Amino acid sequence: MKRPLARLAAILACALVAAGPAGAAVERKVLRMAFRTAETGFDPQRIFDRYSVGICENLFEPLLTYDYLARPVRLVPLTAEAIPVPEEGGTRYTFRIRPGILFADDPAFKGRKRELVARDIEYSIKRFRDPKYASPYEWLFENKIVGLDALAESAKKNGGRLDYDAKVPGLEVRDDYTISFKLTEPDFNFLYVLAMPNVVPVAREVIEAYGDDTMAHPVGTGPFILKDWVRRSKIVLERNPNHRGYELDTSHADPADEWDRRAIDALRGKRLPLLDRVEVYPIEEEQPRFLAFINREHDLLDETPFEFIDQVLPNGRLAPNLARLGVMVFREEQPEITYDVFNIDDPVVGGYTPERVALRRAMVLAHDRDQEIGIVRKGQALPAQSPVPPGIVGFDSAFRATQQDVDPARAKALLDMFGYTDRNGDGWRERPDGRPLAIDYKYNAGNQSNRQLAELWSKSMAAIGIRIEAQAVQFADLLNDKRVGKFQMAGSAWIADYPDAQNFLQLLYGPNTGQSNEARFRLAEFDRLYRRSQAVPDSPERNAIYREMNRLILAYAPWRLGVHRIFNHLQYPWVKGYKKHPILYTNFKYLDLDVAARAAAAR
Amino acid sequence: MTAYVIRRMWQMIPTLAGVILLIFFLFNWVGGDPAQVLAGKISNPEQIANIRKQLGVDQPYWYQLWVFVQQVFTFDFGRSWSTNEEVSRILLTRVGPTLTIMVPVLLIETTLAVVFAIMVAYVRGSLTDRTIMVICTTAMSISFLVYIIFGQWLFGFILGWFPVQGWSESYWRNLTNYAPLPIMLAIFVGLAPQLRLYRSFFLEEINQDYVRTARAKGLPEKKVMMKHVLRNALIPILTNVGIYLPSVFVGSFLLEVFFSIPGLGREIVTAVNRSDFPVIKAVTVYLAVLTMFVNLLVDVMYKLVDPRVSFK
Repeated sequence: MKRPLARLAAILACALVAAGPAGAAVERKVLRMAFRTAETGFDPQRIFDRYSVGICENLFEPLLTYDYLARPVRLVPLTAEAIPVPEEGGTRYTFRIRPGILFADDPAFKGRKRELVARDIEYSIKRFRDPKYASPYEWLFENKIVGLDALAESAKKNGGRLDYDAKVPGLEVRDDYTISFKLTEPDFNFLYVLAMPNVVPVAREVIEAYGDDTMAHPVGTGPFILKDWVRRSKIVLERNPNHRGYELDTSHADPADEWDRRAIDALRGKRLPLLDRVEVYPIEEEQPRFLAFINREHDLLDETPFEFIDQVLPNGRLAPNLARLGVMVFREEQPEITYDVFNIDDPVVGGYTPERVALRRAMVLAHDRDQEIGIVRKGQALPAQSPVPPGIVGFDSAFRATQQDVDPARAKALLDMFGYTDRNGDGWRERPDGRPLAIDYKYNAGNQSNRQLAELWSKSMAAIGIRIEAQAVQFADLLNDKRVGKFQMAGSAWIADYPDAQNFLQLLYGPNTGQSNEARFRLAEFDRLYRRSQAVPDSPERNAIYREMNRLILAYAPWRLGVHRIFNHLQYPWVKGYKKHPILYTNFKYLDLDVAARAAAAR
Repeated sequence: MTAYVIRRMWQMIPTLAGVILLIFFLFNWVGGDPAQVLAGKISNPEQIANIRKQLGVDQPYWYQLWVFVQQVFTFDFGRSWSTNEEVSRILLTRVGPTLTIMVPVLLIETTLAVVFAIMVAYVRGSLTDRTIMVICTTAMSISFLVYIIFGQWLFGFILGWFPVQGWSESYWRNLTNYAPLPIMLAIFVGLAPQLRLYRSFFLEEINQDYVRTARAKGLPEKKVMMKHVLRNALIPILTNVGIYLPSVFVGSFLLEVFFSIPGLGREIVTAVNRSDFPVIKAVTVYLAVLTMFVNLLVDVMYKLVDPRVSFK
């Protein structure tokens, strides 16, 4: 009887020792957070949604990236040894790749370590033009690289098969570590393109091995690998054992910025990445996403839902209950703009004649954007003064769009002056030739706030006697209608692909009509200035050109400038190193977790 | 019976043909052009045409319809247009979580509804009966969304009895940890209308002559209710469960979205939002076939429940 008891006691003692501090394994650093929209996949050349690209940021590495702390944003080399100096008048960029950078292990490499070489970059750029992939970012490399258009054309004639072995003069691989890009015309923003998280090298053997399933097999040189993926439900990243590691560059940090100071304190001198694992859960509904954070199931809340803003930031200050928990809020003015487009080809609201311009300008003046910010956006937005958001190279903080300030009295006077009066006494204005004036406003039916914005347009225009007929349409139909010009007015938005004003001003460049120029605005002077700006690097001269372009936009009013939204990102105090980047979305490699603090909070 | 089953299966073919035609024309007339969404932020007509070609939506309608018919009979719906995942894999991986929620909901809800319905029918007209009917009417007047939002907040966040949301790879963890709250809320919502309906079935049977005869014979009331009334009321109950059964396999979109359950309901809505026709086609056909088979099964079960029913 004694022996079994003694044995049991010994077992219990061993178990207690094993469970005790001396035997405890170091707890893994697992960061948990949610995305507000589901991802689509992780083949960098085939995706464009922000959330899939946000994951790819951690799996792949472009030649260049952005300094984590520097504001305004600043390019730094990543897999390249240095940022190249533009040659041949801004038409040639030559990169030297750092030797020894390894792809993550994958069966496609047949057990060998696979080093990143210049051919991988050449291959990946060609993929953007492969008709088979129908890349949503194909436009980045259209009319851009010498010989690449011809290769894409030959692929179309060859039954859609792109010849990846064909030489492209503009993609010159000089040796394993050197690639030179020759552009068709000067482009001083090309380096920004090469810093995009989509413009990253993939290994040809991986792409060929997985065929149609490349979305599920991302193999890059990034600090993390995709460990597990339950589509639209769970994305698990783990540290890439092949990764060489980074160190935080603090040379461009702002010592006065509290986020910079905290990041430096947490990360300086450490080998990054520090997280062992990241779990991302796409949660479309706002309540569960918010409650999962408040319940400490998640460590971060990216983009606090607008409907919970009053609970999180009553009167613009962090709620006391959250402050007591040590929650921090990062307020981000996103590099994006919302706007309402007038179709310049439309016979009622379009055109460049004084009375049509007056109609648009009057509508802009009467549209109550202050209500939009106060009610629909719950105060979380800034009124746009130009198409270029703050934080973008070329943004002019002194530029004021007074022509777009809310002023219904001025709007009415303008309409009266140009003959838009109520002739039949029904309360609605007619066109100068006496025909009825009713304007369609199309918006995405799948979005609740868009419906509110459409109602605001109807209400604002009714106040000056203009009838708006709001039409909810499916998102795909809205895109099509805007591309082919089948609308009078429509809501729209744009988020920066790269941090230069050109990425926003191209939205009104004449030759982009039918693509990104939804307004179908074709003004010779604007187009001339746009072309001139492309041939000039970032400088006061280029800023002056941008200012002139902004003035033309205000004068002709192809858009009602909307807002730049403000997003509030919440973190618990055990998340270290956090600072939201305006262009890069996730930046897991710069985050750390104090797992002891988290465990203590859970108790 | 075999002849009956074969005849009913023959009848499924024109029904399925109707479903195929309906889905096909609805998608092509009402659904948006998926190429517009897939083309990204900036695209030209040529790129959109290329995507349309890859998706096969540039083909004549008759050809697209023929491809659809082939897919139905080969059970191969290809890949999702938005994520490139095989549609068969989508269905297989999503149906598990959906059934984890919906099967317990069906079983518990039906059992509770039958038990409560027979009890209130037994005490019909009493204060208990009236009180329960008022509660049912009130409960039915509240939207499912309100139940979910309030229930998640109260039981998940304030009381902390359940996780607010989530799902794991472990079936038991899901069933014991993540599923109870959505199951409970779905039962709250579904119980009231079912109870009212089943009560009316029981009341109808209670007033029948054979019940009066049974009582006149001196059978105890419990036996009358359980042996005679219940058995005869089971036919309309079975019909009702049969109508409800196919929805068990497609789940509840609201529950799945609010509780982050990777089920089929959430998948269907995502597919509709993204004009992902292969997924929409597969799910609709799957649901139609399922409905037809469940109906057949219910009809066969009538015979087991009530020997008077004959297959004609």
